[in-house]
Amino acid sequence: MKNFSDQEIIDSVLKGNESDYSIIVDRYKNKAFSMLKRMLKNEFDAEEILQDCFLKAYNSLRSFKGEAKFSTWFYKIVYNSALTKLSSRKRKIESEMSSLDDHFNLASDYDSMDVEKKDLDEFLQETINKLPERYSAIIIMYYLNQLSIEEISEVMHISVSNVKVMLHRSRNALRDLILNSRFAEEMI
Amino acid sequence: MIQVTDDMLNSYLDGELSSEDSKQVKAELLSSEELQKRLNTLKLVHKKLYSLKEDEVSAGFTSKVMSKIGRRKLAVPKQQKYFIFSVAAFITILCLVILGFSISAIISSSSAAKESLNIVDTVDVLSTGLVNFIKHLFSGKGLSILGSVFSLVIIISGYFFFEMQKRSKANLGNGL
Repeated sequence: MKNFSDQEIIDSVLKGNESDYSIIVDRYKNKAFSMLKRMLKNEFDAEEILQDCFLKAYNSLRSFKGEAKFSTWFYKIVYNSALTKLSSRKRKIESEMSSLDDHFNLASDYDSMDVEKKDLDEFLQETINKLPERYSAIIIMYYLNQLSIEEISEVMHISVSNVKVMLHRSRNALRDLILNSRFAEEMI
Repeated sequence: MIQVTDDMLNSYLDGELSSEDSKQVKAELLSSEELQKRLNTLKLVHKKLYSLKEDEVSAGFTSKVMSKIGRRKLAVPKQQKYFIFSVAAFITILCLVILGFSISAIISSSSAAKESLNIVDTVDVLSTGLVNFIKHLFSGKGLSILGSVFSLVIIISGYFFFEMQKRSKANLGNGL
């Protein structure tokens, strides 16, 4: 069953084989957790929200018609749950992210990173964590979860061009930070 | 000579530039070390991001989710049972109130004659009164009032039931 497609597993769950849902959970838990952890900047909250997301997905499984991929549908639940959690923390994410004219300055966080003791991978990991929520979500969805730009736009409910702009902006920010760090000479 | 922006470099990296723009960027890259540096760092970021490692949830996460699913499966019908029970209880209470009201009305109307009658006659008077009242209730104007009350109760409980279903669906599908 582990090699079966998402749709086949869902069909099996809907036929009453409830335990097959654990395959779906195992398949997506770490990927979704990576996204939630970076969006919420808190492991405990990320895991709690993820459990709720799997429950929501399970309970809404009958409404999943297979028009989109299960992964897209599920990440949509995860992403929206993260936004709900963030808004409940009274963060002003809308004003922070929705406009494409917004700017974030990772350079201001650079001093607090203790760069001397880190290698480039660690440095990048930490820098991604410092990106605004939607930007880090895009990075994780695109690079780690391997969603296409179109799928990300569906998950985030924004246009394809906005996804591209945000992806480019994230990369540029990371690049500029590397260019201004000690890694510039070592790696390039 | 064109001004190669960061967006163009990103699109170049993603292979999204037109062949004409791509040629121009290539030409600029040959002549500008600064641009090469920017592109190479971007490539490095791109490569490093592809090698990002997944974070891992705590041990036993899957079993926690599965046991929650098991518990929730039992909880949902229970909630519905409570709702149906409360609606049924409300209707029963309403019926009892109507019945109680009618009995008290009959008793008060026959209280004057009560003293002169023995117990058998009293029961007879009460039962006749009750039958008459029920007849009155289920005929003509009385029936329409009763029907209206029950319709109202059904509409109100239907509304709350629908709202409850909608709310639970919204909670379950939050984010869909």
